[in-house]
Amino acid sequence: MASVKLTNVKKVYDKDVVAVHDFNLDIKDKEFIVFVGPSGCGKSTTLRMVAGLEDISGGTVEIDGEVVNDLQPKDRGIAMVFQNYALYPHMSVYDNIAFSLRLQKMPEDEIYEKVTRAAEILGITEYLMRKPRALSGGQRQRVAIGRAMVRESKVFLMDEPLSNLDAKLRNQMRAEIILLRQRLQTTFIYVTHDQTEAMTLGDRIVIMKDGYIMQVGTPTEVFEMPKNLFVAEFIGAPKMNIMGTELLKENGEYYVTPFGAKIKVDGIKGAMLKEKNIAAGKITLGVRPEHMVLAEEGAANAIPVTLEVNEMMGSELHLHVLTEDGTKLILRIPTIDLDATLRTEMTNGKKLWVTFAGKVMHFFDAENETNVLVDQD
Amino acid sequence: MSTNNASMKKHMGLKASRVVSNTVIYVILIAMSVIWLIPFVCIVLQSFRVENTWQVGYILPKQWGWDNYAALLKTDFKVWYLNTFIMALVVSVLQTMIVLCMSYTLSRFRFKLRQPLMKLMLVLGMFPGMLTMIILYRVLKDLGMTQANAVPGLILVYIASSGMGYYVSKGFFDTISKSLDEAARVDGATRLQILFKIILPLSKPIVIYTILTAFMGPWGDFVFARYISFGTSAGMNVAVGLNGWLSLDQIDQRYTMFCAGGVIVAIPVAVLFMCLQKYYVEGVTGGAVKG
Repeated sequence: MASVKLTNVKKVYDKDVVAVHDFNLDIKDKEFIVFVGPSGCGKSTTLRMVAGLEDISGGTVEIDGEVVNDLQPKDRGIAMVFQNYALYPHMSVYDNIAFSLRLQKMPEDEIYEKVTRAAEILGITEYLMRKPRALSGGQRQRVAIGRAMVRESKVFLMDEPLSNLDAKLRNQMRAEIILLRQRLQTTFIYVTHDQTEAMTLGDRIVIMKDGYIMQVGTPTEVFEMPKNLFVAEFIGAPKMNIMGTELLKENGEYYVTPFGAKIKVDGIKGAMLKEKNIAAGKITLGVRPEHMVLAEEGAANAIPVTLEVNEMMGSELHLHVLTEDGTKLILRIPTIDLDATLRTEMTNGKKLWVTFAGKVMHFFDAENETNVLVDQD
Repeated sequence: MSTNNASMKKHMGLKASRVVSNTVIYVILIAMSVIWLIPFVCIVLQSFRVENTWQVGYILPKQWGWDNYAALLKTDFKVWYLNTFIMALVVSVLQTMIVLCMSYTLSRFRFKLRQPLMKLMLVLGMFPGMLTMIILYRVLKDLGMTQANAVPGLILVYIASSGMGYYVSKGFFDTISKSLDEAARVDGATRLQILFKIILPLSKPIVIYTILTAFMGPWGDFVFARYISFGTSAGMNVAVGLNGWLSLDQIDQRYTMFCAGGVIVAIPVAVLFMCLQKYYVEGVTGGAVKG
């Protein structure tokens, strides 16, 4: 249980390759923070600097108020779960979990107690005498978590712990991590490239790109108010539809004109545009696939499109459509509201009309790609 | 029907050609094995010949016995054997430690002159060791480690450059995931504990390979051993001592004893290899194929 503070943390390789630029973040005690971003964005490097597995090129890392820059990993009060589990292949599950306790010279009966308790929590008691190679991926991951658990550390670090598991197991383990977090009541830093994991696990999410923090916020904040186009596209699946368009201001009301349609910006977004008195002109418009709907043919606020691909996902359809100028859009249409004839008629090449409401729009500066409705600090 | 016949004929033809090529390969391999084994069989047979001690024109002894082996005990052979054994044992322990530490360091640590150091060792390794012989002799002589004191001197010579033989074991260590080291570091292990508790138990084949090659160096050395012992029997190893018996004035009395000595020298190494053969093969290929 501890706070973690990163101040101007920097990582430079070979004198000129900067992997992490001035990283500033305050992680509160018992907070679950997720670093997310595409590969090469510096998320793992930052985590490894907190762990002490990478040297810190600049800035300071504090754990519980103490600067740990020059401390060995074992002296930082951290535990870590690795992407490839990093279990010691020649040791039994029991010995793997007991390894750190034995190094601390803890009495064997105490070790026994701790290991069996951790095994019980994780449901791996019956595998304690097995070698890691005789375990499945999910069981191995549990052992890796068990090994980190018994250290009773101040901060729990996880480096893409679920990315080696298949989709079904990943969902299951994700839920288990949420339960584990409730039980352990400690500070977590979790690295992933999967936005779903980030959204479901994190109290706050740190979205990174090319070594820079793009946005820090709660899942709701980053989803509803992405600070820039990168965050908007990265969070949410399928990704947000982006359209270059014009923002018009007529009689004090705002309108957008994507692909010849004219749609009024109303609701909260309209109010915010007015409040900030955003000037009319070129703008990049973003609309999430789930916020796009099918419209009546020829309606004034509808965009004519051609269906290219129809993905049946069960509870919803993912429609990949092309506008008349060739821009690709994606729609998520719940099948429950779709009548049977429409569902069967969704074949490639079909002409459709799509529209969206004013309150779901996101507006980004056409030049610097920042969200015009979010204050940039 | 005709197609069936044609394919059947083709099948039979292929089968026949495979039988022929296999036969030829086996004949060649058997012939090579025989040629390779003959000297060893001859030495073993000669060592049991008791009717005379010089070289004869036949292979099978007329009279069999242990006389040659018994006679060895009355010579300096015991001293040479002990010298060789001590050297091989000490060198195998020290050299293994040095090589493994060196390999671990080069595999896991990233320090400034790592690459230049590896290149330098590669280049130095290309020079024949013999080139250093004269200067080594001078140095060892000044230290009083030649002739009767050749054993410690030779041990020094054998282990001095052993760190340069890091290639195979470094290659093996490179295949062991670095995240194991990192996990152990987070768990609180020191670098030395990581080497002994994590890396070495996972590298059994390469450790055994290193011990075996380190043992074999002094066990079969002739050139350095002869040079440093410089004719003093007390400082000789078996190869040098036995070689002395092949001189013109001794060969007629010592030839069968020489063969007996050769057999005794081969026994420990043969036993070692037979027991550890499985690991040895894994070790040799370990650098290339993940173990």
